[in-house]
Amino acid sequence: MIALPSIAFGGFSGSAKGVTARYQDGRSILSLKSYPTGETTIAQLAHRTNFSKINKSYKLLSDAQMRAWENLAEHASGQSVFGQKAKLTGANLYLRLNSNRVMAGETMLLDAPQQIAYVPEVEYDSVSVTPQLIVFGGIKHQTAPYKMVVKMSGSQSRGVSNGWSKTVIISSEVEDDWGEADVTALYLKTIGVEPTPGQKVFIECYWLDTSNGFTGQVFRDSVIVTGESSYTPRKRVTMDRLNPDYELHVSSIDVDFSSGGPVVQYDVMCLGHSNIASSEAYLDQDLPEELRGTSWALGRGNGEDGKLVAQSYVMWLYGAYYSTPARITFAHRGGYYVKPTEVFGPGVIY
Amino acid sequence: MNFNSTGNNFGSGSISFKSHQEENYIVLNAKFKYNPASPAYQAADVLEIYVPDLSIERSAIAGVFMRFVDRRDSYGYVWDNSGGTVLKSWVKDKNTLCIEKLTNFDEKGEITIYVLTLYTMLGRGSKPIKGTRTGLQIIQEEQYLYWRSESFFATFDHWVFLNMLFSSCSYTYRGQPWECGIEGFPTDVTADLPFCGGGNQYNPTVDGISEAHIENGVFTCPQRTDGFEDTGHDPFVFAFLVRDN
Repeated sequence: MIALPSIAFGGFSGSAKGVTARYQDGRSILSLKSYPTGETTIAQLAHRTNFSKINKSYKLLSDAQMRAWENLAEHASGQSVFGQKAKLTGANLYLRLNSNRVMAGETMLLDAPQQIAYVPEVEYDSVSVTPQLIVFGGIKHQTAPYKMVVKMSGSQSRGVSNGWSKTVIISSEVEDDWGEADVTALYLKTIGVEPTPGQKVFIECYWLDTSNGFTGQVFRDSVIVTGESSYTPRKRVTMDRLNPDYELHVSSIDVDFSSGGPVVQYDVMCLGHSNIASSEAYLDQDLPEELRGTSWALGRGNGEDGKLVAQSYVMWLYGAYYSTPARITFAHRGGYYVKPTEVFGPGVIY
Repeated sequence: MNFNSTGNNFGSGSISFKSHQEENYIVLNAKFKYNPASPAYQAADVLEIYVPDLSIERSAIAGVFMRFVDRRDSYGYVWDNSGGTVLKSWVKDKNTLCIEKLTNFDEKGEITIYVLTLYTMLGRGSKPIKGTRTGLQIIQEEQYLYWRSESFFATFDHWVFLNMLFSSCSYTYRGQPWECGIEGFPTDVTADLPFCGGGNQYNPTVDGISEAHIENGVFTCPQRTDGFEDTGHDPFVFAFLVRDN
Protein backbone atom coordinates (compact mmCIF):
# COMPACT_ATOMS: atom_id res chain seq x y z
CA MET A 1 0.00 0.00 0.00
CA ILE A 2 1.34 3.43 -0.95
CA ALA A 3 0.26 6.77 0.62
CA LEU A 4 0.86 9.86 -1.51
CA PRO A 5 0.69 13.57 -0.58
CA SER A 6 -2.07 13.84 -3.17
CA ILE A 7 -1.52 16.41 -5.81
CA ALA A 8 -2.11 14.20 -8.76
CA PHE A 9 -4.75 12.05 -7.13
CA GLY A 10 -6.43 14.49 -4.69
CA GLY A 11 -10.13 13.73 -4.56
CA PHE A 12 -9.82 10.78 -6.87
CA SER A 13 -11.20 7.46 -5.88
CA GLY A 14 -11.91 4.27 -7.76
CA SER A 15 -10.14 1.37 -9.37
CA ALA A 16 -8.31 1.08 -12.60
CA LYS A 17 -6.73 -2.19 -13.60
CA GLY A 18 -4.93 -3.49 -10.53
CA VAL A 19 -4.82 -0.13 -8.69
CA THR A 20 -7.38 1.30 -6.27
CA ALA A 21 -7.32 4.90 -5.05
CA ARG A 22 -9.23 6.25 -2.07
CA TYR A 23 -9.19 9.38 0.05
CA GLN A 24 -9.10 8.92 3.80
CA ASP A 25 -8.18 11.17 6.73
CA GLY A 26 -6.68 13.83 4.48
CA ARG A 27 -4.60 11.36 2.58
CA SER A 28 -4.97 9.71 -0.77
CA ILE A 29 -4.10 6.07 -0.64
CA LEU A 30 -3.26 3.89 -3.56
CA SER A 31 -3.35 0.18 -3.12
CA LEU A 32 -2.47 -2.63 -5.41
CA LYS A 33 -4.79 -5.55 -5.69
CA SER A 34 -3.22 -8.50 -3.99
CA TYR A 35 -3.41 -12.04 -5.18
CA PRO A 36 -3.05 -15.11 -2.98
CA THR A 37 0.23 -16.93 -3.31
CA GLY A 38 0.97 -20.54 -2.55
CA GLU A 39 -1.41 -23.44 -2.51
CA THR A 40 -4.88 -22.53 -1.32
CA THR A 41 -6.29 -24.67 1.45
CA ILE A 42 -9.93 -25.64 1.77
CA ALA A 43 -10.17 -23.56 4.92
CA GLN A 44 -8.80 -20.52 3.09
CA LEU A 45 -11.25 -21.01 0.25
CA ALA A 46 -14.14 -21.27 2.67
CA HIS A 47 -12.96 -18.16 4.49
CA ARG A 48 -12.66 -16.16 1.28
CA THR A 49 -16.11 -17.29 0.17
CA ASN A 50 -17.60 -16.23 3.49
CA PHE A 51 -15.73 -12.95 3.32
CA SER A 52 -17.15 -12.23 -0.09
CA LYS A 53 -20.69 -13.22 0.93
CA ILE A 54 -20.62 -11.05 4.03
CA ASN A 55 -19.28 -8.08 2.07
CA LYS A 56 -22.00 -8.41 -0.52
CA SER A 57 -24.72 -8.80 2.09
CA TYR A 58 -23.81 -5.45 3.67
CA LYS A 59 -24.85 -3.71 0.47
CA LEU A 60 -28.30 -5.25 0.79
CA LEU A 61 -28.95 -3.75 4.24
CA SER A 62 -31.48 -0.96 4.66
CA ASP A 63 -30.29 2.57 5.27
CA ALA A 64 -31.37 2.32 8.89
CA GLN A 65 -29.41 -0.86 9.39
CA MET A 66 -26.30 0.66 7.83
CA ARG A 67 -26.67 3.74 10.02
CA ALA A 68 -26.84 1.53 13.08
CA TRP A 69 -23.62 -0.23 12.04
CA GLU A 70 -21.95 3.14 11.41
CA ASN A 71 -23.04 4.37 14.84
CA LEU A 72 -21.69 1.29 16.54
CA ALA A 73 -18.45 1.52 14.57
CA GLU A 74 -17.90 5.05 15.88
CA HIS A 75 -17.92 3.67 19.41
CA ALA A 76 -15.81 0.69 18.45
CA SER A 77 -13.05 2.81 16.97
CA GLY A 78 -10.33 3.74 19.41
CA GLN A 79 -11.11 0.81 21.66
CA SER A 80 -9.08 -2.34 21.76
CA VAL A 81 -12.04 -4.48 20.92
CA PHE A 82 -10.09 -6.56 18.47
CA GLY A 83 -6.75 -6.57 20.14
CA GLN A 84 -5.54 -3.49 18.29
CA LYS A 85 -6.76 0.04 18.10
CA ALA A 86 -8.39 0.69 14.77
CA LYS A 87 -10.76 3.14 13.20
CA LEU A 88 -13.62 1.22 11.73
CA THR A 89 -16.39 1.93 9.31
CA GLY A 90 -19.79 0.33 9.69
CA ALA A 91 -18.94 -2.02 6.85
CA ASN A 92 -15.66 -2.97 8.55
CA LEU A 93 -17.41 -3.78 11.79
CA TYR A 94 -20.17 -5.67 10.01
CA LEU A 95 -17.55 -7.76 8.23
CA ARG A 96 -15.52 -8.44 11.36
CA LEU A 97 -18.36 -9.43 13.62
CA ASN A 98 -20.07 -11.51 11.00
CA SER A 99 -16.84 -13.23 9.95
CA ASN A 100 -16.45 -14.27 13.57
CA ARG A 101 -20.06 -15.40 13.78
CA VAL A 102 -19.84 -17.42 10.59
CA MET A 103 -16.54 -18.94 11.74
CA ALA A 104 -18.36 -20.09 14.90
CA GLY A 105 -21.14 -21.62 12.83
CA GLU A 106 -23.67 -18.88 13.51
CA THR A 107 -25.81 -16.98 11.01
CA MET A 108 -25.00 -13.42 10.02
CA LEU A 109 -26.26 -10.52 12.12
CA LEU A 110 -28.05 -8.02 9.91
CA ASP A 111 -28.93 -5.64 12.73
CA ALA A 112 -26.04 -4.09 14.62
CA PRO A 113 -25.71 -5.12 18.27
CA GLN A 114 -27.04 -2.50 20.68
CA GLN A 115 -23.62 -1.85 22.11
CA ILE A 116 -20.06 -3.04 22.18
CA ALA A 117 -19.90 -6.18 24.28
CA TYR A 118 -17.29 -6.79 26.93
CA VAL A 119 -15.48 -10.07 26.33
CA PRO A 120 -13.13 -11.46 28.99
CA GLU A 121 -9.50 -12.31 28.39
CA VAL A 122 -8.34 -15.90 28.18
CA GLU A 123 -6.70 -17.19 31.36
CA TYR A 124 -5.08 -20.58 31.82
CA ASP A 125 -2.51 -22.14 34.13
CA SER A 126 -0.41 -24.08 31.67
CA VAL A 127 0.01 -25.27 28.13
CA SER A 128 1.97 -28.38 27.33
CA VAL A 129 3.16 -29.13 23.81
CA THR A 130 4.71 -32.46 22.92
CA PRO A 131 4.59 -34.45 19.69
CA GLN A 132 1.85 -36.62 21.22
CA LEU A 133 -0.12 -34.21 23.35
CA ILE A 134 -1.04 -30.55 23.10
CA VAL A 135 -3.18 -29.54 26.05
CA PHE A 136 -4.20 -26.41 27.90
CA GLY A 137 -4.73 -26.82 31.62
CA GLY A 138 -6.53 -24.72 34.21
CA ILE A 139 -8.53 -22.66 31.74
CA LYS A 140 -10.77 -20.20 33.52
CA HIS A 141 -14.11 -21.36 32.21
CA GLN A 142 -16.49 -19.06 30.41
CA THR A 143 -20.04 -20.18 29.78
CA ALA A 144 -21.85 -20.07 26.47
CA PRO A 145 -22.01 -18.10 24.24
CA TYR A 146 -18.23 -17.79 24.67
CA LYS A 147 -15.96 -20.07 22.73
CA MET A 148 -12.19 -20.00 22.75
CA VAL A 149 -10.35 -19.30 19.52
CA VAL A 150 -6.90 -20.90 19.48
CA LYS A 151 -4.23 -19.94 16.98
CA MET A 152 -0.92 -21.78 16.92
CA SER A 153 2.17 -21.81 14.77
CA GLY A 154 4.17 -24.70 13.46
CA SER A 155 7.50 -25.41 15.15
CA GLN A 156 9.88 -22.45 14.97
CA SER A 157 13.52 -22.14 15.92
CA ARG A 158 13.72 -21.50 19.66
CA GLY A 159 15.70 -18.32 18.87
CA VAL A 160 12.66 -16.72 17.23
CA SER A 161 11.21 -14.18 19.67
CA ASN A 162 8.27 -12.93 17.68
CA GLY A 163 6.52 -15.57 15.65
CA TRP A 164 2.88 -14.79 16.31
CA SER A 165 2.39 -13.70 12.70
CA LYS A 166 2.89 -17.34 11.80
CA THR A 167 -0.06 -18.53 13.86
CA VAL A 168 -3.16 -19.89 12.18
CA ILE A 169 -6.52 -20.71 13.65
CA ILE A 170 -6.60 -24.33 14.72
CA SER A 171 -10.07 -24.00 16.21
CA SER A 172 -12.62 -21.28 16.74
CA GLU A 173 -14.78 -23.30 19.10
CA VAL A 174 -12.62 -24.76 21.81
CA GLU A 175 -14.68 -25.52 24.91
CA ASP A 176 -12.76 -26.53 27.98
CA ASP A 177 -13.61 -29.77 29.72
CA TRP A 178 -13.45 -28.77 33.37
CA GLY A 179 -10.45 -26.52 32.66
CA GLU A 180 -8.73 -28.84 30.20
CA ALA A 181 -8.62 -28.48 26.44
CA ASP A 182 -6.81 -31.15 24.46
CA VAL A 183 -6.18 -29.64 21.02
CA THR A 184 -3.78 -32.31 19.73
CA ALA A 185 -6.04 -33.54 16.94
CA LEU A 186 -7.00 -30.01 15.91
CA TYR A 187 -3.34 -28.99 15.76
CA LEU A 188 -2.31 -31.98 13.67
CA LYS A 189 -5.25 -31.49 11.32
CA THR A 190 -4.41 -27.83 10.75
CA ILE A 191 -0.62 -27.71 10.92
CA GLY A 192 -0.12 -31.15 9.43
CA VAL A 193 3.00 -32.17 11.35
CA GLU A 194 3.74 -32.91 14.97
CA PRO A 195 5.56 -30.23 16.92
CA THR A 196 9.31 -30.81 17.13
CA PRO A 197 10.91 -31.19 20.56
CA GLY A 198 13.30 -28.36 21.37
CA GLN A 199 11.60 -25.92 19.02
CA LYS A 200 9.14 -23.18 19.85
CA VAL A 201 5.43 -22.92 19.14
CA PHE A 202 3.63 -19.57 19.25
CA ILE A 203 0.11 -19.33 20.57
CA GLU A 204 -2.67 -16.76 20.45
CA CYS A 205 -5.98 -17.23 22.24
CA TYR A 206 -9.07 -15.15 22.72
CA TRP A 207 -12.70 -15.63 23.66
CA LEU A 208 -15.29 -15.15 20.98
CA ASP A 209 -18.80 -14.14 21.99
CA THR A 210 -20.73 -16.15 19.42
CA SER A 211 -23.93 -14.23 20.08
CA ASN A 212 -22.58 -11.03 18.57
CA GLY A 213 -19.14 -11.77 17.09
CA PHE A 214 -17.17 -9.59 19.51
CA THR A 215 -13.83 -10.94 20.65
CA GLY A 216 -11.70 -10.37 23.71
CA GLN A 217 -8.11 -9.27 23.98
CA VAL A 218 -5.67 -11.61 22.32
CA PHE A 219 -3.57 -13.52 24.84
CA ARG A 220 -0.12 -14.32 23.43
CA ASP A 221 2.10 -17.11 24.62
CA SER A 222 4.94 -19.26 23.38
CA VAL A 223 6.16 -22.60 24.58
CA ILE A 224 9.16 -24.83 23.96
CA VAL A 225 8.10 -28.25 22.69
CA THR A 226 9.16 -31.03 25.03
CA GLY A 227 9.63 -34.72 24.34
CA GLU A 228 7.35 -35.80 27.15
CA SER A 229 4.48 -33.94 28.71
CA SER A 230 4.81 -32.61 32.23
CA TYR A 231 1.09 -32.10 32.30
CA THR A 232 -0.95 -34.54 34.38
CA PRO A 233 -4.46 -34.91 33.03
CA ARG A 234 -7.18 -35.32 35.62
CA LYS A 235 -7.82 -38.87 36.72
CA ARG A 236 -10.65 -40.47 34.78
CA VAL A 237 -11.67 -43.76 33.28
CA THR A 238 -12.97 -43.29 29.76
CA MET A 239 -13.59 -45.66 26.85
CA ASP A 240 -10.07 -45.22 25.49
CA ARG A 241 -8.64 -46.36 28.82
CA LEU A 242 -10.37 -49.73 28.86
CA ASN A 243 -8.44 -52.93 28.32
CA PRO A 244 -9.20 -54.16 24.79
CA ASP A 245 -8.47 -57.78 25.75
CA TYR A 246 -11.65 -58.02 27.82
CA GLU A 247 -15.31 -58.10 26.90
CA LEU A 248 -17.00 -54.71 27.18
CA HIS A 249 -20.09 -54.43 29.34
CA VAL A 250 -20.47 -50.69 28.93
CA SER A 251 -21.19 -48.68 25.81
CA SER A 252 -19.85 -45.48 27.30
CA ILE A 253 -17.97 -44.71 30.47
CA ASP A 254 -16.67 -41.64 32.23
CA VAL A 255 -15.65 -42.15 35.82
CA ASP A 256 -14.04 -38.98 37.09
CA PHE A 257 -11.97 -38.82 40.27
CA SER A 258 -11.18 -35.11 40.12
CA SER A 259 -13.89 -33.64 42.37
CA GLY A 260 -11.33 -32.88 45.04
CA GLY A 261 -14.24 -33.65 47.39
CA PRO A 262 -15.93 -36.69 48.88
CA VAL A 263 -17.39 -38.13 45.67
CA VAL A 264 -16.53 -39.87 42.42
CA GLN A 265 -18.53 -38.69 39.42
CA TYR A 266 -20.14 -41.33 37.15
CA ASP A 267 -21.57 -41.23 33.67
CA VAL A 268 -21.74 -44.80 32.44
CA MET A 269 -24.07 -46.77 30.19
CA CYS A 270 -24.16 -50.25 31.68
CA LEU A 271 -25.16 -53.03 29.31
CA GLY A 272 -25.03 -55.88 31.78
CA HIS A 273 -23.78 -59.32 30.84
CA SER A 274 -24.89 -62.92 30.89
CA ASN A 275 -27.61 -63.31 33.50
CA ILE A 276 -25.85 -61.21 36.09
CA ALA A 277 -27.19 -57.82 37.11
CA SER A 278 -23.85 -56.13 36.78
CA SER A 279 -21.39 -54.75 34.25
CA GLU A 280 -17.63 -54.81 34.38
CA ALA A 281 -15.07 -52.51 32.85
CA TYR A 282 -11.44 -53.67 32.78
CA LEU A 283 -8.86 -50.92 32.71
CA ASP A 284 -5.65 -50.73 30.71
CA GLN A 285 -3.77 -49.28 33.68
CA ASP A 286 -3.81 -50.01 37.36
CA LEU A 287 -6.06 -48.01 39.64
CA PRO A 288 -4.00 -46.26 42.33
CA GLU A 289 -4.63 -47.30 45.90
CA GLU A 290 -6.30 -43.99 46.77
CA LEU A 291 -8.91 -44.53 44.07
CA ARG A 292 -9.89 -48.05 45.05
CA GLY A 293 -12.92 -48.67 47.17
CA THR A 294 -16.70 -48.95 47.16
CA SER A 295 -19.07 -46.31 45.89
CA TRP A 296 -22.80 -45.85 45.17
CA ALA A 297 -24.66 -43.92 42.51
CA LEU A 298 -28.10 -43.59 40.96
CA GLY A 299 -29.17 -45.23 37.74
CA ARG A 300 -32.07 -44.93 35.33
CA GLY A 301 -33.31 -47.48 32.81
CA ASN A 302 -32.45 -46.59 29.25
CA GLY A 303 -33.74 -49.49 27.20
CA GLU A 304 -35.78 -49.68 24.02
CA ASP A 305 -38.68 -50.92 26.13
CA GLY A 306 -39.00 -47.38 27.48
CA LYS A 307 -38.39 -48.34 31.08
CA LEU A 308 -37.15 -45.39 33.11
CA VAL A 309 -36.87 -47.18 36.42
CA ALA A 310 -34.89 -45.44 39.16
CA GLN A 311 -32.15 -47.72 40.48
CA SER A 312 -29.20 -47.67 42.79
CA TYR A 313 -25.86 -49.19 41.90
CA VAL A 314 -22.84 -50.18 43.91
CA MET A 315 -19.45 -49.79 42.30
CA TRP A 316 -16.42 -51.76 43.32
CA LEU A 317 -13.19 -50.18 42.18
CA TYR A 318 -10.47 -52.82 42.18
CA GLY A 319 -6.76 -52.53 41.59
CA ALA A 320 -4.86 -55.04 39.46
CA TYR A 321 -4.44 -58.41 41.10
CA TYR A 322 -1.91 -60.87 39.69
CA SER A 323 -2.90 -61.36 36.06
CA THR A 324 -6.28 -59.66 36.40
CA PRO A 325 -6.18 -56.00 35.43
CA ALA A 326 -7.79 -53.24 37.45
CA ARG A 327 -11.54 -53.11 36.97
CA ILE A 328 -14.73 -51.38 38.01
CA THR A 329 -17.82 -53.47 38.65
CA PHE A 330 -21.21 -51.78 38.41
CA ALA A 331 -23.66 -53.96 40.32
CA HIS A 332 -27.38 -53.31 40.40
CA ARG A 333 -28.91 -53.03 43.87
CA GLY A 334 -32.09 -50.94 44.25
CA GLY A 335 -35.14 -50.84 41.95
CA TYR A 336 -36.04 -53.09 39.06
CA TYR A 337 -33.02 -54.12 36.97
CA VAL A 338 -33.11 -52.75 33.44
CA LYS A 339 -30.66 -53.34 30.59
CA PRO A 340 -29.20 -50.97 29.61
CA THR A 341 -29.11 -48.54 32.51
CA GLU A 342 -27.41 -45.19 32.68
CA VAL A 343 -25.54 -44.80 35.95
CA PHE A 344 -24.86 -41.15 36.62
CA GLY A 345 -24.12 -38.53 39.22
CA PRO A 346 -21.88 -38.35 42.24
CA GLY A 347 -21.18 -41.26 44.54
CA VAL A 348 -19.64 -41.24 47.97
CA ILE A 349 -16.54 -43.46 48.05
CA TYR A 350 -15.23 -45.37 51.07
CA MET B 1 -27.43 -22.24 54.96
CA ASN B 2 -31.07 -21.94 53.97
CA PHE B 3 -32.28 -19.81 51.09
CA ASN B 4 -35.29 -19.31 48.87
CA SER B 5 -35.32 -19.39 45.12
CA THR B 6 -35.71 -16.06 43.38
CA GLY B 7 -37.79 -17.49 40.53
CA ASN B 8 -38.23 -20.32 38.08
CA ASN B 9 -39.32 -20.86 34.51
CA PHE B 10 -42.00 -23.51 35.12
CA GLY B 11 -44.67 -21.66 37.02
CA SER B 12 -44.02 -22.77 40.59
CA GLY B 13 -43.84 -20.51 43.59
CA SER B 14 -40.83 -19.81 45.75
CA ILE B 15 -38.79 -22.90 46.65
CA SER B 16 -37.05 -23.25 50.01
CA PHE B 17 -33.63 -24.87 50.04
CA LYS B 18 -31.41 -26.18 52.76
CA SER B 19 -27.83 -26.16 51.62
CA HIS B 20 -24.28 -26.85 52.58
CA GLN B 21 -21.87 -25.10 50.27
CA GLU B 22 -18.18 -25.72 49.81
CA GLU B 23 -15.75 -24.30 47.28
CA ASN B 24 -15.98 -27.37 45.03
CA TYR B 25 -19.36 -28.92 45.81
CA ILE B 26 -22.74 -28.17 47.33
CA VAL B 27 -25.45 -30.29 48.91
CA LEU B 28 -29.00 -29.09 48.33
CA ASN B 29 -32.25 -30.30 49.88
CA ALA B 30 -35.66 -29.14 48.70
CA LYS B 31 -39.09 -30.53 47.96
CA PHE B 32 -41.50 -28.75 45.66
CA LYS B 33 -44.28 -29.33 43.17
CA TYR B 34 -45.07 -28.17 39.68
CA ASN B 35 -48.09 -28.41 37.49
CA PRO B 36 -47.41 -29.80 34.00
CA ALA B 37 -50.48 -27.93 32.73
CA SER B 38 -48.81 -24.60 33.51
CA PRO B 39 -48.06 -22.60 30.33
CA ALA B 40 -44.68 -21.66 31.78
CA TYR B 41 -43.78 -25.33 32.25
CA GLN B 42 -44.96 -26.17 28.78
CA ALA B 43 -42.84 -23.42 27.26
CA ALA B 44 -39.68 -24.52 29.06
CA ASP B 45 -37.10 -26.85 27.49
CA VAL B 46 -35.23 -27.32 30.74
CA LEU B 47 -36.62 -26.55 34.19
CA GLU B 48 -34.61 -23.69 35.66
CA ILE B 49 -34.67 -22.52 39.26
CA TYR B 50 -33.08 -19.16 39.92
CA VAL B 51 -31.24 -18.90 43.20
CA PRO B 52 -29.00 -16.48 45.09
CA ASP B 53 -25.24 -16.88 44.47
CA LEU B 54 -24.06 -20.45 44.95
CA SER B 55 -20.49 -21.22 45.93
CA ILE B 56 -19.87 -23.16 42.71
CA GLU B 57 -20.01 -21.83 39.17
CA ARG B 58 -21.31 -25.02 37.57
CA SER B 59 -21.54 -28.71 38.31
CA ALA B 60 -21.46 -32.12 36.76
CA ILE B 61 -24.73 -33.99 36.28
CA ALA B 62 -26.49 -35.24 39.39
CA GLY B 63 -29.89 -36.82 40.05
CA VAL B 64 -33.12 -35.59 41.64
CA PHE B 65 -36.29 -37.64 42.12
CA MET B 66 -39.67 -36.94 40.55
CA ARG B 67 -42.87 -38.49 41.86
CA PHE B 68 -46.43 -38.50 40.59
CA VAL B 69 -49.47 -39.63 42.55
CA ASP B 70 -51.68 -42.24 40.94
CA ARG B 71 -54.38 -43.69 43.19
CA ARG B 72 -57.21 -45.74 41.72
CA ASP B 73 -60.39 -46.99 43.30
CA SER B 74 -60.94 -50.67 42.63
CA TYR B 75 -64.10 -52.13 44.16
CA GLY B 76 -63.70 -49.99 47.26
CA TYR B 77 -59.95 -50.55 47.59
CA VAL B 78 -57.64 -47.63 46.84
CA TRP B 79 -54.89 -48.99 44.62
CA ASP B 80 -51.81 -46.78 45.01
CA ASN B 81 -49.72 -46.76 41.84
CA SER B 82 -47.77 -43.62 42.60
CA GLY B 83 -44.37 -43.74 41.00
CA GLY B 84 -41.58 -41.79 39.42
CA THR B 85 -37.96 -41.86 38.48
CA VAL B 86 -34.68 -39.95 38.57
CA LEU B 87 -34.15 -36.76 36.60
CA LYS B 88 -30.82 -35.29 35.64
CA SER B 89 -29.97 -32.04 37.35
CA TRP B 90 -27.02 -29.69 37.30
CA VAL B 91 -25.86 -26.25 38.33
CA LYS B 92 -25.67 -24.21 35.15
CA ASP B 93 -24.16 -21.14 36.75
CA LYS B 94 -23.97 -19.53 40.18
CA ASN B 95 -27.61 -18.52 40.00
CA THR B 96 -29.30 -21.29 38.04
CA LEU B 97 -30.16 -24.83 39.02
CA CYS B 98 -31.37 -26.93 36.08
CA ILE B 99 -33.55 -30.04 36.02
CA GLU B 100 -34.15 -32.18 32.97
CA LYS B 101 -37.70 -31.88 31.61
CA LEU B 102 -39.20 -35.34 31.23
CA THR B 103 -42.70 -35.14 29.83
CA ASN B 104 -43.58 -38.86 30.05
CA PHE B 105 -45.76 -38.39 33.12
CA ASP B 106 -47.25 -34.96 32.46
CA GLU B 107 -50.75 -36.40 32.19
CA LYS B 108 -50.52 -37.57 35.80
CA GLY B 109 -51.01 -34.04 37.07
CA GLU B 110 -48.97 -32.44 39.82
CA ILE B 111 -45.37 -33.67 40.06
CA THR B 112 -43.27 -33.57 43.22
CA ILE B 113 -39.52 -33.06 42.95
CA TYR B 114 -37.16 -34.12 45.72
CA VAL B 115 -33.74 -32.49 45.61
CA LEU B 116 -31.56 -34.55 47.96
CA THR B 117 -28.48 -34.04 45.93
CA LEU B 118 -24.79 -33.30 45.92
CA TYR B 119 -23.58 -31.20 43.01
CA THR B 120 -19.85 -31.36 42.39
CA MET B 121 -17.38 -29.54 40.23
CA LEU B 122 -14.62 -31.51 38.49
CA GLY B 123 -11.00 -30.80 37.69
CA ARG B 124 -10.53 -29.76 41.32
CA GLY B 125 -8.09 -32.27 42.72
CA SER B 126 -6.17 -35.41 42.11
CA LYS B 127 -8.15 -37.73 44.32
CA PRO B 128 -11.50 -37.87 46.07
CA ILE B 129 -11.80 -37.76 49.85
CA LYS B 130 -12.99 -41.09 51.22
CA GLY B 131 -15.92 -41.22 53.62
CA THR B 132 -16.50 -43.55 56.52
CA ARG B 133 -19.26 -46.12 56.19
CA THR B 134 -21.51 -46.81 59.17
CA GLY B 135 -23.62 -49.91 58.72
CA LEU B 136 -27.32 -49.46 59.37
CA GLN B 137 -28.37 -50.66 62.84
CA ILE B 138 -32.09 -50.42 63.52
CA ILE B 139 -33.60 -49.53 66.87
CA GLN B 140 -37.09 -50.99 67.37
CA GLU B 141 -38.76 -52.35 70.50
CA GLU B 142 -40.13 -55.19 68.48
CA GLN B 143 -38.13 -55.58 65.34
CA TYR B 144 -40.31 -55.88 62.27
CA LEU B 145 -38.26 -54.03 59.66
CA TYR B 146 -35.19 -55.60 58.09
CA TRP B 147 -32.67 -53.90 55.86
CA ARG B 148 -30.03 -55.42 53.65
CA SER B 149 -26.54 -55.55 55.09
CA GLU B 150 -25.21 -53.13 52.47
CA SER B 151 -27.38 -50.34 53.93
CA PHE B 152 -25.27 -47.62 55.49
CA PHE B 153 -24.80 -43.94 56.05
CA ALA B 154 -21.68 -41.80 55.83
CA THR B 155 -21.57 -38.79 58.09
CA PHE B 156 -19.72 -35.59 57.26
CA ASP B 157 -19.54 -32.42 59.34
CA HIS B 158 -22.45 -30.69 57.63
CA TRP B 159 -24.25 -33.40 55.68
CA VAL B 160 -24.82 -37.11 55.58
CA PHE B 161 -25.27 -39.64 52.79
CA LEU B 162 -27.96 -42.24 53.45
CA ASN B 163 -28.24 -45.48 51.49
CA MET B 164 -31.02 -47.85 52.59
CA LEU B 165 -31.93 -51.13 50.91
CA PHE B 166 -35.16 -52.69 52.11
CA SER B 167 -35.10 -56.40 52.88
CA SER B 168 -38.38 -57.40 54.51
CA CYS B 169 -41.10 -56.61 57.01
CA SER B 170 -42.84 -58.91 59.47
CA TYR B 171 -46.19 -59.97 58.05
CA THR B 172 -48.36 -58.30 60.69
CA TYR B 173 -46.78 -54.91 60.07
CA ARG B 174 -47.04 -54.92 56.32
CA GLY B 175 -50.00 -52.57 56.19
CA GLN B 176 -49.03 -50.53 59.25
CA PRO B 177 -47.14 -47.26 59.47
CA TRP B 178 -43.44 -48.01 59.86
CA GLU B 179 -41.06 -46.41 62.29
CA CYS B 180 -37.53 -47.25 63.29
CA GLY B 181 -34.62 -45.48 64.87
CA ILE B 182 -31.25 -45.55 63.13
CA GLU B 183 -28.44 -45.99 65.59
CA GLY B 184 -25.82 -43.27 65.37
CA PHE B 185 -27.60 -41.35 62.64
CA PRO B 186 -27.25 -37.59 63.08
CA THR B 187 -30.28 -36.18 64.88
CA ASP B 188 -30.00 -32.84 63.09
CA VAL B 189 -31.38 -34.11 59.79
CA THR B 190 -35.02 -33.57 58.78
CA ALA B 191 -36.24 -34.46 55.31
CA ASP B 192 -38.95 -36.16 53.28
CA LEU B 193 -37.47 -39.10 51.39
CA PRO B 194 -38.61 -40.77 48.20
CA PHE B 195 -38.71 -44.50 48.93
CA CYS B 196 -38.16 -45.93 45.45
CA GLY B 197 -39.07 -49.46 44.42
CA GLY B 198 -41.87 -51.93 44.26
CA GLY B 199 -43.78 -52.97 41.18
CA ASN B 200 -46.12 -50.52 39.50
CA GLN B 201 -48.86 -52.36 37.66
CA TYR B 202 -50.44 -49.35 35.96
CA ASN B 203 -47.20 -47.53 35.22
CA PRO B 204 -44.87 -50.32 34.14
CA THR B 205 -42.13 -48.06 32.79
CA VAL B 206 -41.27 -47.07 36.37
CA ASP B 207 -41.31 -48.51 39.87
CA GLY B 208 -43.47 -47.26 42.67
CA ILE B 209 -42.30 -44.43 44.85
CA SER B 210 -43.59 -44.10 48.41
CA GLU B 211 -42.76 -41.21 50.67
CA ALA B 212 -40.80 -41.66 53.87
CA HIS B 213 -39.45 -39.17 56.37
CA ILE B 214 -36.42 -38.88 58.59
CA GLU B 215 -36.22 -36.69 61.66
CA ASN B 216 -34.29 -36.84 64.90
CA GLY B 217 -32.63 -40.07 63.76
CA VAL B 218 -35.99 -41.78 63.26
CA PHE B 219 -37.13 -43.16 59.90
CA THR B 220 -40.90 -43.25 59.30
CA CYS B 221 -43.01 -44.37 56.38
CA PRO B 222 -46.79 -44.11 56.92
CA GLN B 223 -47.74 -46.22 53.88
CA ARG B 224 -46.27 -47.86 50.84
CA THR B 225 -47.44 -48.09 47.26
CA ASP B 226 -49.13 -51.29 46.15
CA GLY B 227 -46.61 -53.72 44.76
CA PHE B 228 -43.99 -52.49 47.26
CA GLU B 229 -42.78 -55.97 48.06
CA ASP B 230 -42.91 -57.35 44.52
CA THR B 231 -39.93 -59.56 43.84
CA GLY B 232 -37.12 -57.91 41.90
CA HIS B 233 -38.22 -54.30 42.51
CA ASP B 234 -35.95 -53.79 45.52
CA PRO B 235 -36.99 -50.63 47.42
CA PHE B 236 -34.24 -48.21 48.32
CA VAL B 237 -33.47 -44.76 49.69
CA PHE B 238 -30.58 -42.75 48.26
CA ALA B 239 -30.11 -39.27 49.67
CA PHE B 240 -27.53 -36.60 50.39
CA LEU B 241 -28.97 -34.81 53.43
CA VAL B 242 -28.03 -31.43 54.87
CA ARG B 243 -27.55 -31.29 58.63
CA ASP B 244 -29.07 -28.40 60.59
CA ASN B 245 -25.84 -27.47 62.33
